[in-house]
Amino acid sequence: MKHISCLLLSLLLGLLVSADPKYKELLNLQPLNPASLLASFNFKSNASLQSYEQQHFKYIPRSLGQILQHAKTRELHLRFSTGRWDDESWGARPWGGTKEGGTGVELWAWVEGDSDADSFARWVTLNNALSGLFCASLNFIDSTRSTRPRMTFEPASSVFNASSENLYLLHGSLPREVVCTENLTPFLKLLPCKGKAGIASLLDGHKLFDASWQSMAIDVRSVCPENGSECSIEMEQTVDMVLDVDRSKRPRDNPIPRPIPSEHLQCDQSKPYAGDEACYPSDANLGQSWTLAEIFGRPIQGSCLAEDSYGQLRDSVCINVPHEREVNLYGDAVETKNEAGTSRCFAIPASNPFELVLSHIGPQTFNKVSQPPLYASRSFTGHGQERGGVQTLLTNPSTSSSIQFVYFETLPWFMKPYLHTLTARLTTASTTSPDIIEETFYRPALDRRRGTQLELLISVPADSAVILTYDFDKAILRYTEYPPDANRGFDVAPAVIRLLPSSGNSSSNSQAPLYIRTSSLLLPLPTPDFSMPYNVIILTSTVMALAFGMIFNLLVRRFVGADEVEGWNLAALKAKARGRVAVLVDRVSGKGQKLEKTVQ
Amino acid sequence: MVIDRRKAILFSSAAALRFILFFAFPSLPDLLTGRVEISTPVTSFKRLQEGLFLYTHNAPLLLPLFALVPPSLFSPLTALLYILLDLLCANALIKITESGESGSSRLFTSPRKDMKWDSIAVAAAYLFNPFTIATCIGRPTSVFTNCAILYAITQAVSGKPITSMLTLGLASYLSLYPALLLPPLILLCYDRKARDTKTPPAATFSTATFVSVFSASIAWFLYLSKVLTGGSSEYLASTYGVHLLLPDLTPNVGLWWYFFIEMFDSFREFFLGVFWLHLGGYVGALCIRLRTQPLFVITTLLGIFAIFKPYPSISDTSLYFAMLPLYRHIFPLMRYTFFAMATILYATLLGPAFYYLWIYAGSGNANFFYAITLVWSLGLSEIVADSLFAVLRDEWEVERPEMKGKDIRQI
Amino acid sequence: MALISPTILALRRDPRLLKLPPYLSALCIFIGAVWLCLLPLNEYSRRTYISENALLPGQVHTYFGGSEQNVFNAYKYEVQALVGKDQEAISTKLSDIFESAGLRPARQKYEYHAAGNTYSGENVYAILHAPRGDATEAILLVAAWTNMDGILNQSGVALALALARYFKRWSLWSKDIIILITGDSRAGPQAWVDAYHDEHSSPFVAPLPLKSGALQGVVVVDNALDHRFESLHIVYDGINGQLPNLDLFNTAVSIASGQLGIGVSLQRMWKHNDSYQERLQTMLRGMFSQGLGYSSGPHSSFVPYHVDAITLQAVGDGWQDEMAMGRCVESIFRSLNNLLEHFHQSFFFYLLMQADRFVSIGTYLPSAMLVAVNFTIMAIALWIRSGRPPAPKVASTMPEKQNPEMEIVQENNMTAITPKENLTILERQLFLPVTLVVSLHFLGAIPLYVFINSSHNTLPLYFLLFTFLNFFQPTVLATLIHRHTPLTPQHHLLLQSFSLLVLGIFLATLATLNFSLSLFVGLLSTPLSFTGNPFSSSVDAKDAIPSKTRQHIWTLVLQLLSPPVVVWAVCYIWGADLGEMLAEAAFGWKVNGLWTQVVIWCVWWPAWTVGGILVNPLL
Repeated sequence: MKHISCLLLSLLLGLLVSADPKYKELLNLQPLNPASLLASFNFKSNASLQSYEQQHFKYIPRSLGQILQHAKTRELHLRFSTGRWDDESWGARPWGGTKEGGTGVELWAWVEGDSDADSFARWVTLNNALSGLFCASLNFIDSTRSTRPRMTFEPASSVFNASSENLYLLHGSLPREVVCTENLTPFLKLLPCKGKAGIASLLDGHKLFDASWQSMAIDVRSVCPENGSECSIEMEQTVDMVLDVDRSKRPRDNPIPRPIPSEHLQCDQSKPYAGDEACYPSDANLGQSWTLAEIFGRPIQGSCLAEDSYGQLRDSVCINVPHEREVNLYGDAVETKNEAGTSRCFAIPASNPFELVLSHIGPQTFNKVSQPPLYASRSFTGHGQERGGVQTLLTNPSTSSSIQFVYFETLPWFMKPYLHTLTARLTTASTTSPDIIEETFYRPALDRRRGTQLELLISVPADSAVILTYDFDKAILRYTEYPPDANRGFDVAPAVIRLLPSSGNSSSNSQAPLYIRTSSLLLPLPTPDFSMPYNVIILTSTVMALAFGMIFNLLVRRFVGADEVEGWNLAALKAKARGRVAVLVDRVSGKGQKLEKTVQ
Repeated sequence: MVIDRRKAILFSSAAALRFILFFAFPSLPDLLTGRVEISTPVTSFKRLQEGLFLYTHNAPLLLPLFALVPPSLFSPLTALLYILLDLLCANALIKITESGESGSSRLFTSPRKDMKWDSIAVAAAYLFNPFTIATCIGRPTSVFTNCAILYAITQAVSGKPITSMLTLGLASYLSLYPALLLPPLILLCYDRKARDTKTPPAATFSTATFVSVFSASIAWFLYLSKVLTGGSSEYLASTYGVHLLLPDLTPNVGLWWYFFIEMFDSFREFFLGVFWLHLGGYVGALCIRLRTQPLFVITTLLGIFAIFKPYPSISDTSLYFAMLPLYRHIFPLMRYTFFAMATILYATLLGPAFYYLWIYAGSGNANFFYAITLVWSLGLSEIVADSLFAVLRDEWEVERPEMKGKDIRQI
Repeated sequence: MALISPTILALRRDPRLLKLPPYLSALCIFIGAVWLCLLPLNEYSRRTYISENALLPGQVHTYFGGSEQNVFNAYKYEVQALVGKDQEAISTKLSDIFESAGLRPARQKYEYHAAGNTYSGENVYAILHAPRGDATEAILLVAAWTNMDGILNQSGVALALALARYFKRWSLWSKDIIILITGDSRAGPQAWVDAYHDEHSSPFVAPLPLKSGALQGVVVVDNALDHRFESLHIVYDGINGQLPNLDLFNTAVSIASGQLGIGVSLQRMWKHNDSYQERLQTMLRGMFSQGLGYSSGPHSSFVPYHVDAITLQAVGDGWQDEMAMGRCVESIFRSLNNLLEHFHQSFFFYLLMQADRFVSIGTYLPSAMLVAVNFTIMAIALWIRSGRPPAPKVASTMPEKQNPEMEIVQENNMTAITPKENLTILERQLFLPVTLVVSLHFLGAIPLYVFINSSHNTLPLYFLLFTFLNFFQPTVLATLIHRHTPLTPQHHLLLQSFSLLVLGIFLATLATLNFSLSLFVGLLSTPLSFTGNPFSSSVDAKDAIPSKTRQHIWTLVLQLLSPPVVVWAVCYIWGADLGEMLAEAAFGWKVNGLWTQVVIWCVWWPAWTVGGILVNPLL
């Protein structure tokens, strides 16, 4: 996997250097283990900055371009993700995690502006426009969900530095947003071939959203090559998905995983009881074979703008399996194997369909997945809806080198952390060790106006794990502030971890930033009774009225002897009645202080 | 001399009890700090620590006080501090009792005034009140306010109006609502002064001086904290704004939180105004009707605050229960003591139980705890009204001695 | 109150009111008891129903079966092969099976010490990630290696493993599924759920290496049978009598009986013919186990964490096979999978008298409350009596006479409170009873401490000793008090009043937490309301302090109803071994956080002691 990322990287860098060609697409298939397959689609469009500013749109879609120009957005990163990357068994993330977002929708952009307020206004415009374009609730990214990260994100454009050109970085995320086909369709519409031809023809909603993990990314940035040729604006669309091969191979018309007939069971015959109605299954770790059509529902429909300016066909599909593994093609495609012996790529002619078969014949080997630089898992501690704690376990698997990273968390305002309880300790040590957190940036929340922003610069020594914990209180909201499913809880956005290239760290390339995101959290809050407003207003007012009445009644009226006034009998009657009432009331309220009133 | 020995015994035993609770049960302080009945958003010790950490929350003047403490000694020293505060309060109570103001003020002397408890008994009633002890262990910042209020009264009854005003200024600076105690306290100071100097000084003039001193002290404290926070006025919103506008709806023993959770947004401001008006409404009426006994006006107001202020806690209740024994002599005239006490006992036990059912077990809902806060408030207001009745009747019997023990009615 | 004060003044004149309380409290007790017996009737109980619409129980086809049977059999052979192996071998094998199903296993070691015993073991579990989920919610399938009776849960464990492998193939899960094989049925689940919320007591309980989101529901499978079973026995009591949401129970019932045609029984009522007696018996059994509040199955440990859990136990010898049980679990999981919110709709306080019949808190709470209230009523009555003058007098109803009457009272009070010596007298009058009651309640900590911290082999001896001492304890205390300060009649009244008041308040509070326990304690201590001369209304020595014969009778009654004697009786009736029971209680306190013994020693026993002191002939 490491080789592959390097290969993709060099490919990427190659593209950076020459703005030409204007459009390029690449599908990279990576069997992770027998059970699952990682498919990364990458589409890259270019346009010269000048033509872009003159609104000459060709490969850069007009719809998006105009939005960006209107909102004065110089760089945009938009992410749609579902599921969870299982790095224990899938290894390091594709693209070093740069092309994925946290669960739901995540968006960050560099926006021009004269002031914070100005940039924020444009940011809101951008969100509203994008939410229309992608059928996502991006317009819900308001001031409580927007943050201005300090250390976590760097502009990917090579033309500007944010400070000088008064650009503002804003970041927002919607962990609750459910990503589905209505987001995929506009995504495909942005492509030159609209998903009709080329590798994009494989992107079918049913398959994509049945994946175990998937992430759609859009990055727009401006690039200026070192050789001084004219700057260009570059838009990159990426779709990564991890497919469960068994599940994907199930026919569309019969998706129910019924128990297979017992004669088809692969049993472990070595067991003493093998045979008599008992079958210890041994099928889980067999090699696996598939075809594109099986996995994606259809073969690739030709290619899309595959010729470069010299009429040369470019590779548009790569599969990363060892060369000894047998891969069959249908359709005339040009195969090139890389010298590392780990992958082969195919250039597909425009017109005719292309089918690829990873056969079950021959050695069933895979490239071994590469180890991720860091494992991060975050969870709540404690129970009850009054207070709790957040605990993040950060494990550095590398045996040789320590690792340094930025830990970025944004919390909703109704989750009130206590920063003085923030501690980081090695799992081996029992006490907190102060030198782990090197730098802290903390912006406390303001009720109903701003969320908490926490950025920590953390370093974890080699071959050790750090536990990061802090306590928080759960606020109780006004009853109008709860969502309809109040008892489900509120989603807390995933933490973003940016690994910093540290000296002598062989695994991380100093050019490429590496990102990791934790899973999101579900925060249960105490809920009031939503059916009660009138009762509460009435009851509370009654109590206050009682007290007020009692006290002012005493203050304003004057005393006389009981036997000095008329109408005693009448009063006595009333008294009896009132007394009875009081008796009933007290009996009902289960306190039984009835006779209390007779106390001397 | 005897008094001193008894006082020493009392204080040492009270301190010892608190020390035991602090250090023999290490988990107890944090447990109580977390209880909503004890710490409210504006007084929580945990938020104070956070404030130390961030220098935002809470009235800033407190922060340096704690910031001086080295972190290693933090918890024992705070424990010590809070124990000392309790003893100071007790000391203040002793002074107030010995001044005899409760029995006989300048304009009124109760026929029952000899029936009072001696100062040690009053102090003991305060120091061994479970509410006081729980408050001390829970370490809310309201203890500072309570102490300041008690000292303001002490200074007043011992004829030091200026210092009294300064202390009240501190109290109001710490948590706003004590400012409502200004009118009765002015009366008290004036009475004391008038009693000491045979010729009563000009009312308007002295009032003016008191008010100006009070406002000057507040201004001074605000300026000081402005300087301490580096010239920012952020803290004003984050401290007094919380009192006034109730943005934080964390449950407590009061009536405000659930009311404003369930309130319709369009009426929120209106009812905030109404609630504050209601709270302030008692001051004038009591001052006028009980002109002769300003100290009792203060006591009753403290009771009313404990029920109706925005973020009440049992520490306010303990303050009220600390002042009440001063009026031992009117207890026989109270009619519903047992009833009210039983109500409060019920609420004290049922409150935590229902809170547990709502928040932790999840088997009850918010109404459980809310109902108990209603009962609690009713019980307290019962005591307030009943003591008020007793005092009024006490006054009445001065002019109608023949009516002693007779049933009476109000018209 | 101030508004109606004059009228109250008028009311309180009425001497009949002062005679009323004892009858009233007796009435309360009577109504409370009768009320309880009425509950099973159709008029007072309700049929169960599903409140949470999202659950849709039994609306899905279940496919668990066919060749899964073979896999299950294989796993069952594997489990049986592990009998007698050490913990390491068992855990390794289970982990291998999880891995072969494509799930990553994790382990957790735990060790508890209680009553001199050591409870240690290891939990093995695996998390099946929801295909499109994000570790925010999870549902839990538990199978304990040994069930509550310590028998190997062979089919249950095998079923859990087979289901894990089967669930993996489905892509419709919206929540993570955790499959947990606990080392035993009591300590294991507790250790796991504690660690899951990071509230475990390290180092004895290890933290969890793998975690998922908020637990939405737990189903425990308990099938130790080696043959086909007849019906499913659903166990639902949690620690301290806290119950899981009724919707979960209803879902299980409607799926088992409605969808799959498996009979359902509860509270060990194997044959339930829907008669009044059967219903009452079921309800009382349920109340008894709720009152004891001990762990009734692996599910019990989850309930205090607001995680709703039930145990499905295969019982009897019938024609239902394990696949049917598997399908039941599958269907329940499909229903839980539909949940959009945490369980909150249906009832958390209920008494079940049949699989499809229940009473909710609104209906049954009054019975316990009435019993608790009778103490408060008597407390108030005694308080009034203690405030009345000793001089006996005829109560007349004519106004002229009443005013002097009142005056006496008033003046008596007033003169009683004139300067020093009277002041001190009055202080002591309140001071002694209050301190006595309070200190006695704190004294309850001693037996509590002893019975929690002594080891299981000495427990019966200690308890015997305690019972013996407890027999004389009121007499001893009475003599001590008598030596120190002879009790005045008013002391008697106040002492009883405060004691009853405190008892009433405690029981009323307890009734909201653990209804059954409160009711039982309340019924067992009803005599305390009527010791002394409840029906007279004066404080004369002869009226306040009962006659010798009366005292002896009451002493006998109280001795028969003393807490230790009751514990003995319970053990005898239920054929339980006292030592085991006490060890169980100690374990419950140490591990599950069981509060029953606190109630017994710090609420019931002190009240009983005060009663014993008051009726003691030596006073």
